[in-house]
Amino acid sequence: MSLKSYSRARAVHVMLVYTGGCNGCDIEIVNCVLSPKYDIEQYKIFLTWNPREADVLVVTGPVTRHNKEPLKAIYEAIPEPKAVIAAGACALMGGVYKNINGDIPSEEICGPVDEVIPVDAKVPGCAVRPEDVLAGAVAALPLLLDAE
Amino acid sequence: MEEDNKITDETPKKQVIETEVPLGPVHSAAIEPYRVRLFVEDEIVKDAEITVGVNHRGVERIMEGLPVEKANSLTEKICGICSNSHIWNSVMVAEKALGTEVPERAQYIRVIMEELERLHSHMLYLAHGNEVLGHETFSMRLFYIRETVMELLRMIGGNRVQYGVPIIGGIRPRAELNQMKLQKITEGMNYIEEKITNFAERFISDSMIMSRITGVGILTKEDAIRLSATGPTLRATGVEVDLRTDMKEYDPFEFDVITQDDGDVKSQLLVRVLEILEAIKIIRQAVKHLPEGPITNRSWEMQDTPITKSYIEVPRGKLYHSYYLDEGRVRNVIVRTPSITNIGAMEHACIGNHITDAQLAVVQCDPCFTCTDRAIQIIQL
Repeated sequence: MSLKSYSRARAVHVMLVYTGGCNGCDIEIVNCVLSPKYDIEQYKIFLTWNPREADVLVVTGPVTRHNKEPLKAIYEAIPEPKAVIAAGACALMGGVYKNINGDIPSEEICGPVDEVIPVDAKVPGCAVRPEDVLAGAVAALPLLLDAE
Repeated sequence: MEEDNKITDETPKKQVIETEVPLGPVHSAAIEPYRVRLFVEDEIVKDAEITVGVNHRGVERIMEGLPVEKANSLTEKICGICSNSHIWNSVMVAEKALGTEVPERAQYIRVIMEELERLHSHMLYLAHGNEVLGHETFSMRLFYIRETVMELLRMIGGNRVQYGVPIIGGIRPRAELNQMKLQKITEGMNYIEEKITNFAERFISDSMIMSRITGVGILTKEDAIRLSATGPTLRATGVEVDLRTDMKEYDPFEFDVITQDDGDVKSQLLVRVLEILEAIKIIRQAVKHLPEGPITNRSWEMQDTPITKSYIEVPRGKLYHSYYLDEGRVRNVIVRTPSITNIGAMEHACIGNHITDAQLAVVQCDPCFTCTDRAIQIIQL
């Protein structure tokens, strides 16, 4: 392990972007990172709200029309190397809001997330379980640590 | 900013420049996407404007024309915090329209779910409020206590966030409570009551917190009524309104309507703390007197109905659902969530405060902007 990845592994900053889901995944992720029960900080993963400080971007929600451009801007603002985790059924396939099997697909939804920005790890669930978020964050770590 | 230091007769004595501070839609101070514009003079907020609409998903549009059972489970996806309230109210509209009788045991279990949801919603509010205040220790403690409620909800409903318990005519079979589950609920309530009482004592006796939140973000009784505030936000200003006293589901239970008089952040926080204790009281009564019998009445028949509406009291205030049924399909869905009527109160509470208190003034009204983004039409009268 190089010195760079050694130091990176000790300060991983996660930014949460919420693009218009139902708030359920959002609170579960904040809960998972902050609350004393799951406590992702013991793995040296911290929550931040500043994209220029972040390493990992966690995206929830089906990307509504108004959130598409801000999401791209936030993705651009994160310095390399970076990893993106899409969390929740809405972020993975548009969820119930996209109306995939309906007669008319919804015009309000630009998602899923991988049509807007590249996604590295996917966390399923409606709403995501905190254990799964932990697993997803750990799965995205090699992208950061092995990058030159 | 341009400043002119020459004082002449024409220039006013104090030249104040109004600055606009826009926050959002994605901002570090706001977890949910919404947009606040603060108009600031000398670091005092003179006017505030909250714009929603960023996360409009058009749930009503997707619900249009779906079978009523599917549409009911879709209402749950409107909000992840008060999901049970939405599905309960939507089911109640169908039951009211079709004249379905609900077994008493199912009503009790629905009330238990709703009050558990009130517990976790209010604890989330208090944890978030303490985080905004800068008191992380209390915030972490409340998140830890909240986990007990989340585990109870997972035990009953099968999921931590969206449980989908009510169906037309009763509740889902998986939410049936047996003796072991009732025992666990009782133990959980004892634990939460002890911890919340402990928290409340320390919170009230902490002079630093009290001096920080007393007199901040004041919302008077007249303003709250004029701006159509609902729920705990209204009760914190001294108006004794609680729809639960009118709902027939809550008739068997004794509870007090909590009010506070001042209308500042202190009152808003204390109303929620005391409502947690009242919710524990209701759950205890429901567990103690849970009647025997069936949990689902499956003898209802589908028919065409006129427009039916239903109001219930949810953790944030008054929730309204209405639709009519046409050949088993849902038509003309209207949802009005409590946060949309509280927006006026949030804007008003910001005015006159220092800019650092503006976020506190918004958070004190317990906003849920996911609920809020509904299709609305503003008519100028």
